[in-house]
Amino acid sequence: MAKTSLAVLESALRERKLDRTLSSAVRAGEAAEAGCTPTTVAPLDACLRGGLPRGQLCEVAGAHGSGRTTLALQLLAGVTRQGEMAALVDTNDRLDVASARAAGIDLDRLLWIRGYATAQAEQAQGALSALERAIKALNLVLQAGGFSVVAIDLIDVPAAALKRLPFTTWLRLQRAIEGSDTTCLLLVAEPLARSAGGLTVSLTGRASWVGSGHSRRLSGVAMSARMQSPRRYASGDVAFGALAVDA
Amino acid sequence: MDGNLFGAMYAAERSAGDVLLAVAREFSPRIASPSIEMHRDPREILMDLSGLTRLFGDRHTIAAELRRTAADRGLQVRVALAGSRTAARLLVHHRPGVTIVDPGHEAMAVGPLPVEALQIMCGGQTDAGSARQQAGPDDSPDALIQTLRRWGVRTLDAFAALPSADIAARLGQRAVRWQRVACGEDLEPLVPAVPEERFEQALDLEWPIEGLEPLSFVLGRLLEPMSAHLERRDRGAAVLHVRLHLVTRLVHERSLQLPVPMRDARTLRTLLLLDLESHPPPAAIDRVVVAVDPTPGRIVQYSLLTRPLPTPEQLSTLMARLQALMGETRCGAPAVVDSWEPGAFTMKPFAPRELEPFRLVPDDSARSGQAEPQAPSVALRRFRMPVIARVVMDGGQPGRVTTERRGIAGGRVVTCAGPWRTSGGWWVDSAPRAAGARVSAPSRPGTRASWDRDEWDVALADGVTYRIFRERDTEKWFIEGLVD
Repeated sequence: MAKTSLAVLESALRERKLDRTLSSAVRAGEAAEAGCTPTTVAPLDACLRGGLPRGQLCEVAGAHGSGRTTLALQLLAGVTRQGEMAALVDTNDRLDVASARAAGIDLDRLLWIRGYATAQAEQAQGALSALERAIKALNLVLQAGGFSVVAIDLIDVPAAALKRLPFTTWLRLQRAIEGSDTTCLLLVAEPLARSAGGLTVSLTGRASWVGSGHSRRLSGVAMSARMQSPRRYASGDVAFGALAVDA
Repeated sequence: MDGNLFGAMYAAERSAGDVLLAVAREFSPRIASPSIEMHRDPREILMDLSGLTRLFGDRHTIAAELRRTAADRGLQVRVALAGSRTAARLLVHHRPGVTIVDPGHEAMAVGPLPVEALQIMCGGQTDAGSARQQAGPDDSPDALIQTLRRWGVRTLDAFAALPSADIAARLGQRAVRWQRVACGEDLEPLVPAVPEERFEQALDLEWPIEGLEPLSFVLGRLLEPMSAHLERRDRGAAVLHVRLHLVTRLVHERSLQLPVPMRDARTLRTLLLLDLESHPPPAAIDRVVVAVDPTPGRIVQYSLLTRPLPTPEQLSTLMARLQALMGETRCGAPAVVDSWEPGAFTMKPFAPRELEPFRLVPDDSARSGQAEPQAPSVALRRFRMPVIARVVMDGGQPGRVTTERRGIAGGRVVTCAGPWRTSGGWWVDSAPRAAGARVSAPSRPGTRASWDRDEWDVALADGVTYRIFRERDTEKWFIEGLVD
């Protein structure tokens, strides 16, 4: 009798999609069913079981020079090359369009929302800070739907400003994309949102060089990543080696 | 008895078309107008007056009313009323004053007219015109008239009296149709000209309103019937106009150019409100007028094979919201420009296109010539305004980089590569940029269009790699961005 009741209860929870809220770990294969967005970096995708999960809030964190922007542009390039749309909320207006194009992004499919550089932000209209404005823009894009990846660049936002944001901000964003095909990606210096369903990729990296003397040039970024996911969607460390590039 | 009744009016002045149309509209909604059908004589107008006897009285009264109304507008007209349009048209051209034909006597009325009268029936949306369309472009009655003249046929009744079978045998079916015209018969029913529709809604407010929230309700009330009207006519709005009559007797007017024809009332209202949020009226509003420039509706074929993009309505609303939040020039699709200028780019409206159904991955040409990268490319985080730096040279290379900028630690240079010298824009040195130019300023201080500099990639002791440059004319150093 008790077993029957338990089965009925589990079935009801599953039907109402409450089981994911109650359980702590994702079942094997569930992530693949939900779909994921490949980063197009093969070792990382292998470790992530295909890429970043859709419908979840993910983070790429790291210090300056660790390759966060490079990885994000790779992700956006993969998505736009598949004919899907992506958006980038550029809080401090840091995107280098030439780098984006070199990464292979189909620029026509990238919605670029430019914030203001620090000096401009002080003169920006209204009382809204650049960060609040960017979060509002992110929310609008997520609510509109239709974008496979929506990334927000918070790398150069002072930590003090980020800490002033209510923590419910991230819960609200997570709620906005839950069940959708959108991956929301935060580019941050330190892990920030700690989404239960998403994951955090912490990067460390250093530029690598080729040649010597006057023929020396920047060749790429050697990166290593540590995956953290509260639900053990993916975890572990992976090193990509130097990503060869044209400087 | 109240059968078919058609009226024709004819004025001597060639510029009388608009007045004739206005007079005719006062009497009947079913009008074949020369000003609408441009291929007909603008001095003439034809209308369906069936049933009007119950309103005005007998045919003579109607004809007299028509002439009087035209005279009130300063126009002297001929009027012919008959049971067929053909008879009315033939008679109004050849008889002055008022001509009334009793029902069933059309053939008798037009009979005395010369066969040359058939020429006026050539062209237009008339019975003879229909005959002409079926017979071919060279179906002018001239050849027929000449033939009839040779046969000694001078009038329409003489032509009508000829045996139809013999006419068909000698001159073909085309001549038989002309013979029916000569009898005053209509070959096809009247196709009334549809008046040009205005998609406009207005509302006079009892009390002036201030602020966008009450205006939102008013706009919704105006846009919903307009949207229904557009849908009935299979039209969409290409341009949306709103005129706000203010209590200061000024008119606050805004026009929105829509990216695609749309007619969803909620979308239109949102777009208007977002625009008015950026450009609010300076005073309270007395009267609201909303109008659209109509255009044929959009026909969309969705694909089963590609992921659907958001609808233009959704994208337009999103872009309007984002532009209201971030600024009009801060949202769009980035695009590279044909220039070596460091950091040059332009912004385009965000309008992603659908992929071709059987080419899920766009080819190189579809991606504007972008080649698929063989290896990931290092990204530069660019400071839109370069950061002023102090650089100590060591052996001809940067040895130490420091700056006042918070967040950039600076320090000893561990590894560097360069210099790479670039220059350009010297031919427009110090020339101001054209107003409204979309090309963003290069990432350097000042507003000069030229650049001449040496670039270095430097890795500092803290592990961060920066791109720095030295302006050759001022010898000043800047940090352009950092590799991340």
